[in-house]
Amino acid sequence: MTTLPWGRKDSRPANGRRRGDKKPGGVRDVLAEATSSSSMSEREVVVSSGLVVLSVIMLWLVVQMLVLGGLEFSRGQDRLYGQLRAELATGEAPTGGVIAPGDPVALLKLPSLGVDQVVVEGTSAGHMLTAPGHRRDTVLPGQAGVSVLYGRSQTFGKPFQVMLQDALGKDMNVVTGQGTSTYRIEQVRRPGDPVPAPPAAGQGRLTLVTSQGSGFLSALRPGEVVYVDASLRTKSFAGGAARVNTIAKSERPMAGDHSVLPMLALTLGGLLAAVVATPFARRRFGSVLTWMIAAPVVLALAWFAADLTVYLLPNLL
Amino acid sequence: MSRRRIALLLGVLVVATFVTSSTVTAAGDDVGAFSQKKTVTRENVDAFGNASTVDSQDVTLEVDHTKNLQGRERVQVSWSGARASAGRATNPYGENGLAQEYPMVILQCRGRDDSSLSAGKRLSPETCWTSSRQQRSQVADTSAAVWRLDPFATEADRGQVSGVSKVPAGCSSPGADSSLHLTPFKAANGKVYPACSNDTMPPEAAIDGAFPPAEQAAYTGVDGKGETSFEVRSSIENESLGCNESTPCSIVAVPIMGTSCARGTGDLADTNGPCRAKGQFAPGSSNFSGLGVDDAVSPLYWWAESNWRNRISVPITFGASPNVCNVLDSRAPVGFYGTELMSQAALQWAPAYCLRKDRFRFQHNVQPDQASFTLMEQKEAPGAFVSGAQEDAGEDNGSPEYAPTAVTGFAVSYVMDRPDNAGEDSDLKLNARLIAKLLTQSYPASAFGKDHPGLGDNPLSINQDPEFKALNPGLDSIAREAAAVIMSLSESSDVVKAISQYIATDPEASAFIAGKADPWGMTVNPSYKDISLPVSEWPLLDEFIPVMKDDCLKANNDTPYLPRLAAPVTSFRKIAEAVLDAWPLAQTRCTGIGTDLSPYVLGRSERQGVGARMLLGVTTLGDAERFGLRTASLQTSQIPPGGTFSSAAGRTFVGPTRAGMAAAVKTAEQAKRGAPFTLDMEKVRRSKGAYPGTLIVYTAARTAGLEKSTARTVAGFVRTATTEGQRPGSGNGFLPSGYLPITRAGTTAALFTSAQQVAADIEGQVGETATQAPADTSAGIGGPGTDALTDAAATGDDAATDDAPKQATSDQLESLGSTASLTSTLAAWALPLLVLLGLAAGLAGPAMRVLAARRRLR
Repeated sequence: MTTLPWGRKDSRPANGRRRGDKKPGGVRDVLAEATSSSSMSEREVVVSSGLVVLSVIMLWLVVQMLVLGGLEFSRGQDRLYGQLRAELATGEAPTGGVIAPGDPVALLKLPSLGVDQVVVEGTSAGHMLTAPGHRRDTVLPGQAGVSVLYGRSQTFGKPFQVMLQDALGKDMNVVTGQGTSTYRIEQVRRPGDPVPAPPAAGQGRLTLVTSQGSGFLSALRPGEVVYVDASLRTKSFAGGAARVNTIAKSERPMAGDHSVLPMLALTLGGLLAAVVATPFARRRFGSVLTWMIAAPVVLALAWFAADLTVYLLPNLL
Repeated sequence: MSRRRIALLLGVLVVATFVTSSTVTAAGDDVGAFSQKKTVTRENVDAFGNASTVDSQDVTLEVDHTKNLQGRERVQVSWSGARASAGRATNPYGENGLAQEYPMVILQCRGRDDSSLSAGKRLSPETCWTSSRQQRSQVADTSAAVWRLDPFATEADRGQVSGVSKVPAGCSSPGADSSLHLTPFKAANGKVYPACSNDTMPPEAAIDGAFPPAEQAAYTGVDGKGETSFEVRSSIENESLGCNESTPCSIVAVPIMGTSCARGTGDLADTNGPCRAKGQFAPGSSNFSGLGVDDAVSPLYWWAESNWRNRISVPITFGASPNVCNVLDSRAPVGFYGTELMSQAALQWAPAYCLRKDRFRFQHNVQPDQASFTLMEQKEAPGAFVSGAQEDAGEDNGSPEYAPTAVTGFAVSYVMDRPDNAGEDSDLKLNARLIAKLLTQSYPASAFGKDHPGLGDNPLSINQDPEFKALNPGLDSIAREAAAVIMSLSESSDVVKAISQYIATDPEASAFIAGKADPWGMTVNPSYKDISLPVSEWPLLDEFIPVMKDDCLKANNDTPYLPRLAAPVTSFRKIAEAVLDAWPLAQTRCTGIGTDLSPYVLGRSERQGVGARMLLGVTTLGDAERFGLRTASLQTSQIPPGGTFSSAAGRTFVGPTRAGMAAAVKTAEQAKRGAPFTLDMEKVRRSKGAYPGTLIVYTAARTAGLEKSTARTVAGFVRTATTEGQRPGSGNGFLPSGYLPITRAGTTAALFTSAQQVAADIEGQVGETATQAPADTSAGIGGPGTDALTDAAATGDDAATDDAPKQATSDQLESLGSTASLTSTLAAWALPLLVLLGLAAGLAGPAMRVLAARRRLR
């Protein structure tokens, strides 16, 4: 966005009176102006601006994932907490059966670490932008059997990063529609470590799945799936109605969700349209007005487009 | 402008992300590299009272590592900007180094050079170790006692008797025309040795002491640069000096600039007098015959204040002493038996176990590989360190598995001086045939060996061998007994096996052993002809007893000559120390006069003189790194036996670097889970950069029949050793130099994964035992009460014997094997790639504009 010629001081009057001129305010005109002011050839201006645009897009994505995503996560958690709270109060929180993906199902609490996370149903990348996801073909937390939760480790609030270090050995409370259960977080399991035996009848286990990097810049390279096992310390609840048998490919660990591609294309189109329209609007309505209107629109579209792009990336990132 | 601000903001955000995500490194991996610059001067005052700076140099001193040192460890000291030395002595150590001009005196002193410390903790010349009286105390004609004119010394230090308030008992007073300066030595226990004669020196300074002198007057080249290895001594080697974990010490380097001179009377103060002397030798020259030098510029007066004030002090710390666990941990040790390749690692690891109450007391006992493996299988030891597959003991061996624990290897360590005082050779190249020649005792060594049938025409020692000369030009050709053999191990070891494998897989070397003469006509010792390789224990086959004429030798002439030269020993450590001291192990020195009081005795030969050292030995890489020994590069290319050659061209040689070891590990293959990796020498040679001496050390342990607590201990050890124990560094629990870290990712990832699998197998005791009971009792020998997991595991993955009923029903627990590896390249690289691309494009765009703007300005 910064490459667009909004910010450049225009020597000509901005009142749109030049409509009758040759090529008024066209792209070529802008380029010529840039060229004349910096003695760059037209091609150099295009390449240089293109590089800056590319840079901004890339860094925007990074910032969105690492920083702004955290805001989005917090806001989503707020909303989900409110929803889950209401459902718990009215007894409508799900206890089994087929639950709509994206609905809150449980609350993870680690009071000593200040962790308070609402878990949503479904583990595709999109659902996990605002909350850890519960794998749909496993029992709900607190019920007998193995329940599996996915969580991101480095982006969008980093909900499960804490599980890999500080949370080890601690007790975690999980609130669902059936009541509160306590799990002891026991071990981090990496490739090659033995898989623990399935819990005995009436016992429960919670497996938290997230990712971790190793080596240089490990914090930015969470390429390996790791598991955190927690065993149920309290009495297990009975399983509810039958769960789904299979899950989509996009809900497996490290999968991306490609179903958003059409949406992404539309959003990018919209973003392009907004960006292209802005300089023309500026000539028509003046800088202040255009800024007021265009900035929020472009920002919102950029934010949304970045979110959709993250759908395509692995869900445990 | 706004776009710049936004770019700046984004940049700051990105940088902030990096900073917050970077991890804090632990302190133990800091080896404490040291560097300091100091301006050193010589300042004279002339007869009219005018002070002038005669000489001023900016000396920069560097030391490669200074932390957590062990006794006898050598640190690399280098400096630049010093005044060029002159009259170089062949041997710079101890009193032998005194006859030099402008050297760099390097000493080890107790205490620190810190004025904020109390006097007892500060270093001074009196806490600096020297191994002879001459280096501390001087009696001289007053007309030559240059220290008495030192303008920087106190008035008391310029008196006729200085350094002490009065002449101590046991020391003689100087005559009327003489002056005496004593630099007493203050021992760690408080005792003060006056150091006026050999009898008044500390016990460790006895003539022919256990250890050769470490302090040296090192040589600075004409370019002002110099470097040397400095051996530090702990309180174990030198109790009087007393440096250890709790007593801080320093290495002190005194660049000798010459003593400064004040105004005075008499010959001493003369313009051309001894005090203002500038040396007799030209910079860069040698002083082979130990001629006299100008004392004022010699290392003799390093303690004089005008020299001493120029010192650079390097604080050093010592690591936990090897017996720290015996002293501080009263628990019974858990003894792992096995290869000596682990000793240096175990030295640093042990305190990280025994000093923690939640761990056990780890102890490493050196034993031959096979013997320790058998001990482990017989449950005499919980685990064994072996560096290759071992033979099973037979029944009830507990299905042992091998967990990779360290990557290290052997080195051919050596010390060789170049002729004409040109320093040490640092780039020795050896091929398999040369090692074969040394091991098969094919060099006759001396006139005695010449009479050996079949060896008469062979070169006397390796430095006379044209093949050796072709690979290592520039060394002398003086025959030496010590250079006819390579110091090696008498016991069985996988290291010996690896060396013999290296020989057996080399076409040139194997043809030589088979009896084919080398291109210059040298043939194998007939006693070793056609010896079948590889072997784990190198045999002593030669039985030739020469005819001796010397009475002493005749009296002791009942053992074969060449094996006496080879004199293999029981530990690599002894070989390493022999190389360090340049003290051959050969038992060929005959002393005594043949009387009852002084019988003829055959003993270890003498230390080699510095300047003419030539000694080779097989050591562990850990020892070689610890003692700072030089290690030879080994030939990896396989050359079919052919004609003579005159240079190393066309042959590749690889030294024991981390890269060389990593390349070797890359060729390793594992047959099945829990099995050792095989390092096929053929493959190692084919991958050009792989070091042939690389060995992987495994912790082998039973996977069945081990008590639960022991199993957990061993599994815990493997896990800790392969994670925490693989951080390179000198601190407790860190991995010393000479080992390649095993990491979760990278070349050694397969080893890491295997180690974790084996740890799981050991902990779960999943193996089958020969005495396996039916499935209704537990798999372990621990009897009833072994936990359900073990029980189930035995019926699971490695499914027990055929007669075991299939009971893996839903209500019984079952081992599911190990966690599968699931990785995502996209997840691993998306963020770094975005950041990188973003930054690159973000820099390139504005850069183009800046360039354009500059073009326009021009």
